[in-house]
Amino acid sequence: MADNLRIRKAVHNLSDSEVSAFRDAYGQMQAITDNRGYAYFAGLHGVPNWYCQHSTDTAPAYYFLPWHRAYLYNLELAVRSRVPDVTLPWWDWTLRPPRQSAIPKIFADRTDGSGAANPLYSFRINLTNPSIHHATTRKPGSPDDLPAQTDVDDVLSTGDWTDFTLALENRLHNLVHGWVGGDMGIVAVAAFDPIFYSHHCMIDRLWWLWQVRNGNGSMPDDLLDTVLPPFNMKVRDVLSVNTLGYDYAAAQAVVPI
Amino acid sequence: MAKKSTQRRRVGKTRAPDKVKITSPVRPSTPANTYTSKPVSIAFAGPEHRFTSADLEILGIDHSQASYEGRVFFNNPKADASTPKTLAQGYAGSFYIFGHGGCFGDVGHCEINERLDAYDLRDPHPLRPTLARVPVTAALKQFAKSNAQISITVVPVVSAATELSDMKNVFRFQQMRFLTYNS
Repeated sequence: MADNLRIRKAVHNLSDSEVSAFRDAYGQMQAITDNRGYAYFAGLHGVPNWYCQHSTDTAPAYYFLPWHRAYLYNLELAVRSRVPDVTLPWWDWTLRPPRQSAIPKIFADRTDGSGAANPLYSFRINLTNPSIHHATTRKPGSPDDLPAQTDVDDVLSTGDWTDFTLALENRLHNLVHGWVGGDMGIVAVAAFDPIFYSHHCMIDRLWWLWQVRNGNGSMPDDLLDTVLPPFNMKVRDVLSVNTLGYDYAAAQAVVPI
Repeated sequence: MAKKSTQRRRVGKTRAPDKVKITSPVRPSTPANTYTSKPVSIAFAGPEHRFTSADLEILGIDHSQASYEGRVFFNNPKADASTPKTLAQGYAGSFYIFGHGGCFGDVGHCEINERLDAYDLRDPHPLRPTLARVPVTAALKQFAKSNAQISITVVPVVSAATELSDMKNVFRFQQMRFLTYNS
């Protein structure tokens, strides 16, 4: 592992101080209404800017993973501009109680420990065209309907790049969006829900785990120079998470020397 | 010079939301329309054919509207959202569509524009239809033991919909086929 990489940890392994810093960063971003703020980044995915990339049968999921990696990378930079040590945590939806409730507690609690509103619980959308003025909600399904580790293992065993990205998007990513329901369940407004980014961190992590085993597989060469608007990045720029300065770990403990 | 194409494909509602106030998406309680195919031969999947895995591939799926789980049943045209997802009920697998929720833009925003000409290098319209592959290996092997033909029923169970979404005609597609593989 390269030096000075930031570690994206699992939500269920964050310390109290890490949760507090994560909430602080999102809270600060949610108070900013310009292009450094939460609403700006949320609005890049669906309404009002519609930059997100998902699979179609013309381009089967080719851009889904690279585009969302660039999206998370740029959001994380904006988050760190508020609270430097914060990284985006990943939501492992394969876990079951008691290790983690279906919607992780840090997102499910209406308030933080001090009684203040929890910025991870909801965000108020205020758009005039289209007219959307509501706080995001969730309508989660039964915990038993979330993907299990065996489902993840099955997708990760897919060797072909196109088959892998399609399976990851359609069988895991889409399922969890629908399982959370509410705003997370609709492309247009999903990114306004604060849990969106930790769900996508999990997806990004699974892609990275697949890349560690398979490299870039059979990814078409002509994909590599495709730009990922609105970010000034091409697909080849986001292939390695280490090049982007981060890695994934369930937890991290620094050994004193 | 390439011939200029004016072909457009319309999906869902093409009217702007005008003064519709869009509230948080809901899980509708009313069921969406199910689809049942005509009988299809599954002679290709008989015991003498040693395939190791099988997918049901569905092409041309509209994803402009509500999000849903598409539950696939074999030989169970009466299946609905309450039917257990068991092989005994013909359940073969599910696919999941992350829908756009209806048209949030002005008139024409969700019309799928084809390329204007050979020099149009823009990305394809994001609402071009999508595809799904449903692993159906166990169910297909089981049904092929005693059936020459099966029907395929898709029960869409809507997970999220907005005021702009068509909640009834959720599952719209162009083509469906089985694919078997030998490892």
